[in-house]
Amino acid sequence: MDKSPALGEQEPTEQVPDIASADENNSTHKWQRISPIALIYFVLMFIKNIFGNIVYLAPAILIGYSKFSEDPAFWLPFVYGFSGLIALSAMLSFYFFQYRLSNQQIEIRSGVFSKKYTNLPFSRIQNVELSEPLYYRPFGYTCMQLDTAGSVKQEAKVVALKKDFAEQLKHEILAAHQQPDGTDENNESDDESVTAKTTIADEEVVDRRNLDDLVIHGLTNNRVWLFIGGLAPFIDNISDKVSEWLLMFGVNVEQYFAFDGKSGWQIATAALSLALLVMIPITIFSILGSIIAFHDFKLSKVGDRYIRRSGLFTKNEVTMRLSRLQMIVRQQDWLDVLLGRINLKFEQSNANYQQAQPGQLTNKIIVPSVTTKECQHLINDAYPENNLENIQFSPVSVRLLVRNVLLFLLPFTAFISALFVIKDKTDSLIFVAIAACFICFLMYMNYRRWGYAKDDNFIYVRKGCLGVDYYVFPIYKVQQTTFKQSWFLKRKQLCSVQFILAAGAVNVPYVKQADGLNLIDESLYEVEYSKRNWM
Amino acid sequence: MTEIAESFTNQPIVCDELPQLENLTFTDLSQKYAPTHRLVTLLTTVILMLVLTAIIYQPFAPLPSEAVSVFEFILWAVGGIGLMATLYNSFADPKKLYALREQDISYQSGLIFRKTVSQPILRVQHVELKRGPVERKVGLASLQVFSAGGSLHTFEIPGLNIDDAEQIRQFILAHKDINQHG
Repeated sequence: MDKSPALGEQEPTEQVPDIASADENNSTHKWQRISPIALIYFVLMFIKNIFGNIVYLAPAILIGYSKFSEDPAFWLPFVYGFSGLIALSAMLSFYFFQYRLSNQQIEIRSGVFSKKYTNLPFSRIQNVELSEPLYYRPFGYTCMQLDTAGSVKQEAKVVALKKDFAEQLKHEILAAHQQPDGTDENNESDDESVTAKTTIADEEVVDRRNLDDLVIHGLTNNRVWLFIGGLAPFIDNISDKVSEWLLMFGVNVEQYFAFDGKSGWQIATAALSLALLVMIPITIFSILGSIIAFHDFKLSKVGDRYIRRSGLFTKNEVTMRLSRLQMIVRQQDWLDVLLGRINLKFEQSNANYQQAQPGQLTNKIIVPSVTTKECQHLINDAYPENNLENIQFSPVSVRLLVRNVLLFLLPFTAFISALFVIKDKTDSLIFVAIAACFICFLMYMNYRRWGYAKDDNFIYVRKGCLGVDYYVFPIYKVQQTTFKQSWFLKRKQLCSVQFILAAGAVNVPYVKQADGLNLIDESLYEVEYSKRNWM
Repeated sequence: MTEIAESFTNQPIVCDELPQLENLTFTDLSQKYAPTHRLVTLLTTVILMLVLTAIIYQPFAPLPSEAVSVFEFILWAVGGIGLMATLYNSFADPKKLYALREQDISYQSGLIFRKTVSQPILRVQHVELKRGPVERKVGLASLQVFSAGGSLHTFEIPGLNIDDAEQIRQFILAHKDINQHG
């Protein structure tokens, strides 16, 4: 099969003569190396791998450091040797990394000692992800990650490509993917894919995030881990610096833990100020994390594809086809509720990403801190037939609240109170009572938040406590259903229902047995009758 | 009033006409499953207890007395849990049932917390028969059905006769939807 017209038209503007010329003569597709800029990438990967095992290496490093400070001259050759080793390994990795494009497929050879050969036909590639680390940006290079629907082992990464070339390649890959797909779906979607192909150049920007949105996002959501993830190797130094810094301002952490001879109120104030002291840096870090991850956030749409771009240091680009979308999650924490902001998540199948670290956001598209209006617009854009705004949610049974109070709150409160009574600190019981009331209130709110609804195409689930989350998924995307009923629930004619999707499980607890059975029967019917593909 | 054509009907579509989970006719697992399962649980417990006893009373490297008391506690805990598990299994195993329909397969289990998992066949990605040494000995097999729901939600029916398991596997693989609509 020939190359797509999109690639052909754009070729004259190609700025990378070596890759382009090799690409032009279709008959002689040669193995080629990536740009030498990848050396930096390999060095960093090597260092990252070492630091990834820091837990095991920590004792060695500690001992090494004290030894080193005793006699630096003696250890210098080792340092040079180590640096040399890193450089050599990067060079070898670079030398052995080769790729080839031919016949609508990409082949990659890599590995120094254990050789690896990957062959990926374009049509098998599900997802193309471009990421631009900081050190690639001045030179206009990018990393291209190719995911398949299969196992993690099958994915491939082309480490350094010129940006324009990577963009073209991406278009070609995604275009190749549409052709076989369009034929076995119905006519309507065939038309769509044709229009998508012709208008491949014009991207429609669906959403952007500004700095103030990101600050709000950092405030309302704990994005500390995004920040910490990047700083993990230095965390010890930082915590030392922080306590030094605190001491400088006359804050002695230890004095907060000397409780003897203080009244309850003094302790409470101390706890409060300590909490503030912890919260403020966490909040600042969280805001920084949010800015690092989502800086210059842009969600755009080309045909049936969503493209998310963001990142301060490493620019990330994730492309997702609408048909891959499994579930939309609309999340609001209590602060979000106060500020009227929403985090919107477009969730994909997560089966491939079980090894992914929590800091990686690759398998879903998160739109951070959008306003209610923007949120509904985005949801409607993805699922035009959804009815989330107006649908009536059915409540769950009040027995959920009763169970939570009887099974969790009461025994625990009784236990704590008993402890206080035995220790003869009856005046502290007031705090237990206040805490119990507060938890009871939370449980009540949690019960009130639970709700579910169903229309012809979608199932909607609402849950939360002080905040509120909505889950929307098309019924035909259901992978499996579970009907749960304990002996007590059966007596009350209640049940719990669980829908398993490729993006995770959604629970609906304590609904009427008849309604629960109905939900399952209708979902199974929809899945089995419509026979629509979930991908 | 306008006249209504006789052929026109507009009956409300009642959900009763859908195939219902409630009306599933469930099949028992193999007769051999419950006794085998009981035996395996008991044997595992006994072996674990023997290993622990051996550790406590071995003469080669005598343990400190605190360690001995901890190990003794673990020993009795293992024994107790094993016994409880055996007791629970002997009541719960007969309640494990499965049902096969044209379009889906369901498995019901649990004594106090009953659970019915239903797996539409057209969402099946692949099927496995799992047979441990004991299962091979007595001619049993576990059927594992994988969907895109992830490894946490692998659909599994234990204790099937090998012939039945093979038959269900064939049925799933031969299902006309499975090859087209992953």
